[in-house]
Amino acid sequence: MNAGGKTATKARSLRQAMSDLHIWVGLLPGWILYAMFLTGTVSYFRDELSQWMRPELPAYTAVGQGPVVAGRLTSAMREIAPRASAWSIGMPNERTNVAAVSWLSASTFQSADLNPVTGERLTVRQTRGGDFFYAFHYQFHYMPRHVGRLLAGLCGMFMLVAIISGVIVHKKIFTDFFTFRWGKGQGSWLDAHNALAVFGLPFHIMVTYSGLVILMQLYMPWGSAMAFETAAERQRLTAEIAPIVPPSKPRGEQVELANIASMVRLAEARWGQDQVGRLLISNPDDAAAKVVVIRDEAGRASNSPQYLLFDATGKLIRAKVRVGPAAEVHGVLYALHLGRFADYVTRWLYFLVSLAGTAMVGTGLVLWVVKRKQRLPDHERPHVGLRLVEKLNIASIGGLSIAMAAFLWANRLLPAHLPGRSAWEIHIFFIVWAVTFAHALARPAKTAWIEQLWFGAAALLLLPALGAATTDRGLVSSLSASDWVFVGVDLTLLALGGLHAWMAMAVLRHKPMRRRAKQEASDDVAHQANIRDVAAT
Amino acid sequence: MTHATTFILCLVGFASLAVAMERHQKGLFGRILEARATRWTRTAGWLILLSALVVVVKGQGWSIGLVSYSGHTSAGAGLVFVALAVHGWLRPKRRA
Repeated sequence: MNAGGKTATKARSLRQAMSDLHIWVGLLPGWILYAMFLTGTVSYFRDELSQWMRPELPAYTAVGQGPVVAGRLTSAMREIAPRASAWSIGMPNERTNVAAVSWLSASTFQSADLNPVTGERLTVRQTRGGDFFYAFHYQFHYMPRHVGRLLAGLCGMFMLVAIISGVIVHKKIFTDFFTFRWGKGQGSWLDAHNALAVFGLPFHIMVTYSGLVILMQLYMPWGSAMAFETAAERQRLTAEIAPIVPPSKPRGEQVELANIASMVRLAEARWGQDQVGRLLISNPDDAAAKVVVIRDEAGRASNSPQYLLFDATGKLIRAKVRVGPAAEVHGVLYALHLGRFADYVTRWLYFLVSLAGTAMVGTGLVLWVVKRKQRLPDHERPHVGLRLVEKLNIASIGGLSIAMAAFLWANRLLPAHLPGRSAWEIHIFFIVWAVTFAHALARPAKTAWIEQLWFGAAALLLLPALGAATTDRGLVSSLSASDWVFVGVDLTLLALGGLHAWMAMAVLRHKPMRRRAKQEASDDVAHQANIRDVAAT
Repeated sequence: MTHATTFILCLVGFASLAVAMERHQKGLFGRILEARATRWTRTAGWLILLSALVVVVKGQGWSIGLVSYSGHTSAGAGLVFVALAVHGWLRPKRRA
């Protein structure tokens, strides 16, 4: 009896401790996590978004056979960067309409997008496209890369702790599985938060953990530093997780590089048609040249390197087909996080569940405020900390949507040949985001929520119209041309705009629990006064 | 095709599991079902979810299949949740 009582207290206190942990570990990085989650979510359609942001480029239906395209792009590189010590050529696939190339020239790294049909360097509007959201979601902006990644890793660790403590705190994970109670204030928010967390739980755990594993080398370098002491050993480690082949010393002997097309043909014979993802060529046109033909990630749930290595004469030197078990775990987690292997249905599932994860973080942030406001005595003004959290919530949830929409508006409205155009798209994103924070500070909380959600809804809903006005690929023409990338982006923008309008209306109609109780009481008094009046006459 | 079948099976499976819960029986039918019916519904729900796993792994292999299964179960359970929430929202209005 006594022992039983003791365990009960212990259990209660464990849950209480976990609850406190969950609340604070969730709140502190919550705003950054929300931004990481939302920009990461849209990154599942990074290539499609990049296409939408370069409306001048048609969706190529016939780029050509892999070997032919590879030959064409290699010739293009010879024109663009003849003296480079290395070329990297990204092969176009069904999701992209550009060939992203980069090269190393006098130890500076440069990149460009090529037209895969002609091999010409693209001079259409300069934009980072969907790559901006992708890069932002793990390294942010306006700060050194490694600082951003360290911050992202730190927030990721908080997230993992929040998930585990959240599962422990959630008392009735099975009995409340499908439960949603309307009009219960804090209770309703908790139900929504729980549902968003529980239904996507496998994804949330996977994406948080794999995100940490991807950046692991950066913030936990000591293990591998101890295990791999020499440069050669470290190189072997790298070779297991990335398709990197160290270049040989150039011999200074001019040799024309063997036929790239036949190397790609050989690779396609092994992996299947259009399965070549990238070509890496070091010391091109030198006798010491090396060509690495790298397998694409489509259709395999691992991005462990698989490649064929050729020398300058076109002889196959090595075929990398498998890696060790530890490296394979890394490769699988990496691939699961990015979902590049996914077909369109699975990609949509990734997007939707990740959006649920975003909403989980968002509802958690709101819940923190709702819970404390509900507890406030009647006439007390909220504490300054509570008000700050609320304002930060508004700008990081409502404001981020506006800023992301503004990024797309800038893409359509900035002059095509503006110097530093792609940088300005990004500056506008941050300027607008800062303005939403100022707005949230200046206005009462509820008004600020409503105004920002309405503004976000309008900005998203009008984007397809803006696209139709500024390009010849509006929704109607893309529908009739079966241009599914543009149709998909436009419809998704409309759906997200609708979601924001619904949220705005929900906030507008919402009466906080505290005030509603008072309202009902005063209604009651008025009602009784009416009865008295009626009785008196 | 594999995707469609898997999704529908997950949806039906989770709907059965929801129907096997007392709280949702009260919400949907206004009463609690017999213990036997409840047990059958619950068993059927689990079996249908298991058959969805068989279908998707057969169609896509273990690695991709398990990823798809995770996505379809999340989406199926989420849709059942939304349907029950909408039902709960409409019900008081109908009475009024």
